[in-house]
Amino acid sequence: MANGWSIIIGLAVIIAFSLLSWFLAPKGENQTVWRSTLILSAWACYIMWAITFLAQWHPLIAPTRTDLRRDMYEHRKLV
Amino acid sequence: MAPKDTLFRSADMSLTQLYIANEIGREVVSALGELGIMDFRDLNSETSAFQRTFTQEIRRLDNVERQLRYFHTQMDKASIPMRSIYEFHNVNTAPSASEIDELSDRSQQLENRVASLNESYETLKKREVELTEWRWVLREAGGFFDRARGQTEDIRQSVDEDDDAPLLRDVEQNGNAEQQERSFSGMNIGFVAGVIPRDRIAAFERILWRTLRGNLYMNQSEIPEAIIQPETNEEVNKNVFVIFAHGKEIIGKIRKISESLGADLYSVDENSELRRDQIHEVNSRLSDLNSVLRNTKQTLDAELTGIGRNLAIWMTIIKKEKAVYQTLNKFSYDQARKTLIAEAWCPTNSLGLVKSTLQDVNDRAGLSVPTIVNQIKTSKTPPTYNKTNKFTLAFQTIIDAYGTAKYTEVNPGLPTIVTFPFLFAVMFGDFGHGCIMTLAALAMIYWEKPLLRSKQDELFSMAFYGRYIMLMMGTYSIYTGLIYCDAFSKELPIFPSMWKWEFPDDFQEGDSVTAVRNGDSVYPFGMDWMWHDTENDLLFSNSYKMKLSILMGWCHMTFSLCWSLVNARHFKTPIDIWGNFVPGMIFFQSIFGYLVFAIVYKWSVDWYHLDPPRDPPGLLNMLIYMFLSPGTIEEQLYPGQGPVQVILLLMAVCCVPVLLFLKPFYLRYEHNKARAQGYHGLGERTRVSALDDDDEDHTLNGNGNRDSYGGDEDGVAMITQDIDEGEEEEFEFSEVMIHQVIHTIEFCLNCVSHTASYLRLWALSLAHQQLSIVLWKMTLGIAFSMSGATGIFATVCLFYLWFVLTVFVLCVMEGTSAMLHSLRLHWVEAMSKHFMGDGIPFEPFSFAVLLEEEPVE
Repeated sequence: MANGWSIIIGLAVIIAFSLLSWFLAPKGENQTVWRSTLILSAWACYIMWAITFLAQWHPLIAPTRTDLRRDMYEHRKLV
Repeated sequence: MAPKDTLFRSADMSLTQLYIANEIGREVVSALGELGIMDFRDLNSETSAFQRTFTQEIRRLDNVERQLRYFHTQMDKASIPMRSIYEFHNVNTAPSASEIDELSDRSQQLENRVASLNESYETLKKREVELTEWRWVLREAGGFFDRARGQTEDIRQSVDEDDDAPLLRDVEQNGNAEQQERSFSGMNIGFVAGVIPRDRIAAFERILWRTLRGNLYMNQSEIPEAIIQPETNEEVNKNVFVIFAHGKEIIGKIRKISESLGADLYSVDENSELRRDQIHEVNSRLSDLNSVLRNTKQTLDAELTGIGRNLAIWMTIIKKEKAVYQTLNKFSYDQARKTLIAEAWCPTNSLGLVKSTLQDVNDRAGLSVPTIVNQIKTSKTPPTYNKTNKFTLAFQTIIDAYGTAKYTEVNPGLPTIVTFPFLFAVMFGDFGHGCIMTLAALAMIYWEKPLLRSKQDELFSMAFYGRYIMLMMGTYSIYTGLIYCDAFSKELPIFPSMWKWEFPDDFQEGDSVTAVRNGDSVYPFGMDWMWHDTENDLLFSNSYKMKLSILMGWCHMTFSLCWSLVNARHFKTPIDIWGNFVPGMIFFQSIFGYLVFAIVYKWSVDWYHLDPPRDPPGLLNMLIYMFLSPGTIEEQLYPGQGPVQVILLLMAVCCVPVLLFLKPFYLRYEHNKARAQGYHGLGERTRVSALDDDDEDHTLNGNGNRDSYGGDEDGVAMITQDIDEGEEEEFEFSEVMIHQVIHTIEFCLNCVSHTASYLRLWALSLAHQQLSIVLWKMTLGIAFSMSGATGIFATVCLFYLWFVLTVFVLCVMEGTSAMLHSLRLHWVEAMSKHFMGDGIPFEPFSFAVLLEEEPVE
C-alpha cells in the first residue's frame, strides 16, 4: 500500500501545498499570518507523519500478544 | 513609503511632533485617543505632577469621578442595577467641553440631592430604631413592673434575710411605717431602663456589680427580633434591661455606665396607665415615621434609578476626559505662540490616518491654524509594535511575556502560532482529547461576545484569553492523535494493518503470538493500530517517540537558529553571520544534524534483509564513541563511517575558536580602523529630539533647542542624525571578548542540553498515553467486563467517572502541564537561538486599552 516512495510523494505534495498557500493566501494585512501558518503547519504535520512512517518502514520488532484466542481470529478472518 | 506592517517584525515607527493650537488641544488628544496609535512621550518629566498645566482640570474630574463612585456605592447599597455600558450605542462620540461642564455640574447637584436624601433617610431610620427600641422597653419593662408590683413584699423580705445586703437597709429602717405604700418611689428606689447589645450584657452586668458593690436589682429580657443599625446596615441583637437601685447618685452612676457601654436609655413611666398611653403614642409615631420613610426611600430610589440609566456612560466619559488631560500634561506649552507641542511615536504607515484625523478635528472646530505634524529623525530606539488581531494576540502575548523584541528584529510570535500548539500536540496527542479541547475552544469562540462582557473567574478568563491557542492546540492534537493512533487510548483502525497474526500449529491459549508482515507495504498514516494492547507496545512506541522528539527538537532548533541569520542580514551586521551564525550552525549540525541523519538512515535500511543480515548498530553508542575514540567503528552503520565522523568532529572543534574570536577581533579591527581615520565616537553628542532635555550636555545645547521650536520650521534641522546605533558607548575590547566567551560556552553547552530538553516531548507523550490507558482500564474496562443489569448500571456510572476524569485530569491537568512544557521549549530552547529582546514596548494612548484595563462595571 505504501512504500518508501510515499516519503517523496508526500514531500512533493507538501511543497505544492506550500507554494499554493504562498500565492493563494488571502490578501490584506493578515497575509503574512496566513502564509506562515499554513506553510508551517503543513511542514510540521509532514515531518511528524514522515518520522512515524520511517519508524515503521523497516521495523526491528513485531507486535506480540499472549491474550489471543484462535477462534476470535479465525472468526474475524471469515468475516 | 514604509514596508507593510506585518507580524513578522515590528511596524516602522516614526517620532512625530505635533503643533496643536491651544484651543483644540483637548479635542485633538481625544480624537487620537480613539485612534489609539500614538505613544506620547513625556516632555515635562522634570516637573512634578502638581506643577503641570492641567492639574486643575484633573482635580475637578477626580471630584466628578468620586461623585460618580458615590452614586455607584449608593446604588449598590440600594441594590439598584446599573445599565450596562454595552447597551449604549454612542459610546465613542467624544463629548464637547461644555458637555463635560454640564456633566460635572449635574453630578454636583445630584450628589447634593442624593446626599441630603440619604441624610434625611438615615435620620428617619435612626428615629425609627429609637422608637422601636423604646416600644420594646415599654413592653418588656412594663412586664417587670407588673410582676414586681406583686412581689414588693418578697423583695423586701429577701433583702431582710441577707445580712450585708445594703440595698434596702434604710428602706427597712424608716419604711416600716409605710408598709402599705407599694410604689417603688415610695421606697426611694429609682430605676433605669434601656436597651443594650446582647454581646455586651455580660460585661455590663459585671461592671455594674463591681462599681455598685451589688447595690442594684437588674432585670433583663431579650428582644426576639434583631434590630438593624442604620449606620452600618447590620443586624444587632439587643436586650432590654431595667435596673433598680437606691439613691440618686447610684442611678446617675448607672446611667453613665450604661451610656458608656453603648446602651440606649429610655424613659418609662412607673404608672401602668401612663405607660399604656406612651405605647400608644410610640405606635402612632412609628406608623407616621414609616410612611415618611417609605416616601423618602422611593424618592431616593427613583433618583438613583435615573442616575443608573446613565452612570456607566458618565463614568466612561470622565475616565476618558481624565486620560486626555493626563496626556495633555505630557505636552510642552509654548506661552508665546499659544500652541501645545507634543512628541509621540506612531507607526509610520498610520501617519496618513493621524493627519486626516487631525484635519477633521480642525475642520470641526473651524480653526484656521492647522495642526502641524512633523516627522523628526532621531537616534532614539523606537518602541517595538507588533500589530495583532484577536487571533494572533494571545500568541504574541506568549512572546511578550518573555521579553519585548528588539525594534524590527524577527518576531518569534509569527512562527509561534504554529510551533507552540504543535509541540503541545506532540505531548498531548490523542484524537479524543483533542476533540474535547477543540470543541471547548470553538464554544468559547462562538460565544465570544457574551463571554467578553460577563465576569469570569481567573482560571476561565485565562482559558478564554487563549481560546485561539486552544483551538490550534486542539486541532493539532487531533492530528497527532491520528498519528499516534490513539482515541481515548483506543486504536483507530482506519487502514488495513501492515501486520497479521499467524498462529503456530501447536497453539495453546495463552501462548505468545508474534505478528508477521502483511506483504511489503508500510502502514500509510501514523502508527499501526495493531500495536495496541500488545506486550511490546511500549518497547516500540518508546523508541519511536524518543527519536521523534529528537528529530522534532532538531527541526525546531535549526529553524530558530536560521532566524539569527535573517536578523543579521536585516541589521546589516555581516560579522554576526560569519562570527556567530555560520560556526554555530556548523557546530550544531556536525553533531546533532549527524545524529538526526543517523537516525533516519538507520530507519531506512532493512537490517534483517541485508546480505549478509546483521544486527542494527546502536546509535547511542555510536554517538558516544564518536567523541571517545574518533575513527574507530565497532558496529558499522554505513561504509566510510569512520572518516566521516572524524571530519565532522574536526569541523565542530574548529568552529569553537571561530565562534570565540572572530567577532571580537573583527570589532576591534573596525574600531581601530575608524580611529586611525580620525573619527571619534565620543564627543559627538546627538540631540535625540528637539525637546529632549535629558542629555548630559543640556546646558550646551539645551537652550538652543528650547528656542528652536519657537523659531521657524528649521528648528527640526537642529536635530542631527546619528549615524551609529543608539546612545554611543565606548568600545571596550575586554567587554566584547567576555561577552563572546559567555556566548560561545553557552551556545555549545546549550546545543547538548537543549537537544536533551526536547526529550520532554517523549516523556510527556508517553505519560499521557499511559495515563489514558490506565484510566480506561480502571473505569470503563471494569464496566465492560461485567454483564447483565449490574453491567448496565456499572457502565453508566463508570462512564460518568471516566468522562469527568478524562476532562479534568487528562484534558485540563495534563493539558496545562503540556502547555507549560511547550512554553518552556519556546522561551528557552527556541528563542535563545535568535531572540535579542531588548526592545521597548509600544504603549499607545488609547481609550480602548484604558477601558479594558479599568472596565466600567
